[in-house]
Amino acid sequence: MAQLDLNSLSKRYGDFYAARDVSLQVADGEFLVLLGPSGCGKTTTLRMVAGFIEPTAGQVRLGGNDVTFLPPWKRNAGMVFQSYALFPHLTVAQNVAFGLEMRKLLRIEIDRRVEEALALVRLSGFGARLPRQLSGGQQQRVALARALAIRPDVLLLDEPLSNLDAKLRQEVRVEIRELQRQLGLTAVMVTHDQEEALTMADRLVVMNEGSVRQVGTQRDLYERPADRFVAGFVGRSTFLDGTVEAPGRFRSDGGLALTCTGGQPGRAALALRPERVEIGLVKSAGLDNSLPGTVEFVSYLGALIDIHVRLSPNDRLVVQVANRDGGFTPEVGQSVHVGWSASAGLVFNE
Amino acid sequence: MTDTALAHAPAADRRRGEGLTAGMLIVPASIFVAFCLLAPLAILFRYSLNEFVTTKKMMVEAVTLANYVKFFTDPYYTTILGVTVRVAVTVTAVCLVLGFPLAYVVARTQSRFKHLLIIAIVLPLFVGNAVRAAGWMTVFGSRGFLNTTLQWLGLIDKPLEIMFTETAVIVGIIAVNLPFMVLSLQSVIEGIDRSVEEAAFSLGAPPGTMFRRVLWPLALPGILAGTILTFILAMNAYATPFLLGGPLFKMMAPLIYNQFTQQTNWPFGGAIAFILMTVTLGLTMAANLLIQRRRAS
Repeated sequence: MAQLDLNSLSKRYGDFYAARDVSLQVADGEFLVLLGPSGCGKTTTLRMVAGFIEPTAGQVRLGGNDVTFLPPWKRNAGMVFQSYALFPHLTVAQNVAFGLEMRKLLRIEIDRRVEEALALVRLSGFGARLPRQLSGGQQQRVALARALAIRPDVLLLDEPLSNLDAKLRQEVRVEIRELQRQLGLTAVMVTHDQEEALTMADRLVVMNEGSVRQVGTQRDLYERPADRFVAGFVGRSTFLDGTVEAPGRFRSDGGLALTCTGGQPGRAALALRPERVEIGLVKSAGLDNSLPGTVEFVSYLGALIDIHVRLSPNDRLVVQVANRDGGFTPEVGQSVHVGWSASAGLVFNE
Repeated sequence: MTDTALAHAPAADRRRGEGLTAGMLIVPASIFVAFCLLAPLAILFRYSLNEFVTTKKMMVEAVTLANYVKFFTDPYYTTILGVTVRVAVTVTAVCLVLGFPLAYVVARTQSRFKHLLIIAIVLPLFVGNAVRAAGWMTVFGSRGFLNTTLQWLGLIDKPLEIMFTETAVIVGIIAVNLPFMVLSLQSVIEGIDRSVEEAAFSLGAPPGTMFRRVLWPLALPGILAGTILTFILAMNAYATPFLLGGPLFKMMAPLIYNQFTQQTNWPFGGAIAFILMTVTLGLTMAANLLIQRRRAS
């Protein structure tokens, strides 16, 4: 395993930047997740690391060596694909052995390492089967074993779980993460699923429109999002558009006068996490902001309830409450009060 | 018990009814094949066992293998069979070598002009064999476009002998058969997941190894279909060897035509037709078995 460094990596197609000035450091043994909507450049970045795409500018360093213009077969990167990409005409054992044969190892050594890799993914005894005789989850584990057998310097995972059903996805998620920790693998995973990203990563990279928006731990991204995009993409936020009149004073387009922390005078958006807003039938004292509103929409999620509250013709807020025994049960049309402390709101100037 | 049996009976009837309707759909094609292919072949086979009286140019009813014996004992005819097989094998091999890269590019292209590319590949088939061959005669003839141009440029003294050679015939048949090879390969390559190739690369396989270990075995069904099609078409080529081969170069199909029309020797023509068919099928099946056995091992 090795450290991976990306220095100002860019990929341009004509006037369009698929990835722009991407700089990242992945430490030895770290699990980094690239997160973003489709077309944000996360897959392009991963494919530049794998060697499938030649960058327009910038540098990829793997274990201290410059591999920017090395073809994929000369980099020691193990790749796991969304479609598994198993060789359909080869057995499970032959699939796992493929990379070892390319490295011209002795037959005994190959057999030993195939066994070892299959044992790692709990598929010992499946070696003689063909990929099509396995379930989707098993196929993905074979793909993982194949990538691990070559003892790669870095493990690259391209949306590895998106073809699995929801329940299986959670299992394989934990499995990949445990293997990665146990073997001390340096890993980079690409996903558009934020829950997947949050549960698996040591650190996350949020990308949009080809650029890195923020790099940090789960807590960094959730508590201190760098911009409006991150605040909306990681977790959920309701945005109230308006103007910062003076640091600490925000006036929404609907005319609400609100207390906030910080912000530069000018156009801005106030972001609020649904679970940080309190709701009740009476005005609650002790909160910096407390406003009357009307319940417009309720969605019942089981453990949680989402309540959409209209505060003014222009302003609507989502409040999330825990579904506790004897807790607040709102009804559409009901008059309520919502409130939050100034520190719960994040101000993003435009 | 009886109640459930009764309840199920109509459903079973209905299913049988559907089976019948589906079966009806293949009847017209079956009748067509039976009357227009099998029956004439059977009659032709019967003819090939008849005698031919040369003096009267007449077919006489008989059961004899004389026509087959005549073909295999006369080096004139066996040479023609040998040349035909040689030309067909060469054509098939060249089509595979030329066709694979082309099919790969067409299968993998993301271009929105892909359909134009496919039309361009099929375009040669829009021109009939005879018309195309006639066109080539004007280009490659001793006083054709190519030779006059080269002579005018002073690059050659005497016209190049291109027309009426085996090479001309091989080139001509390749031009006809290449689209069939490319289309057979392209449809199969399109079904191979691109990421399988990338997986091989990332595991350390350079392009040549990737091709040999992954692409070739996965494309094998298309390779088989393409080579069989090309081989059969080349074995039975008529217009191209006739027009580009000239009077001295002989292949099987023109020979059969000659026996039927010039010599009016139906028994011998029938025998040659059956020999051509049997050799074609035999070689095709042998190649198939060989490839499948190698694949299994």
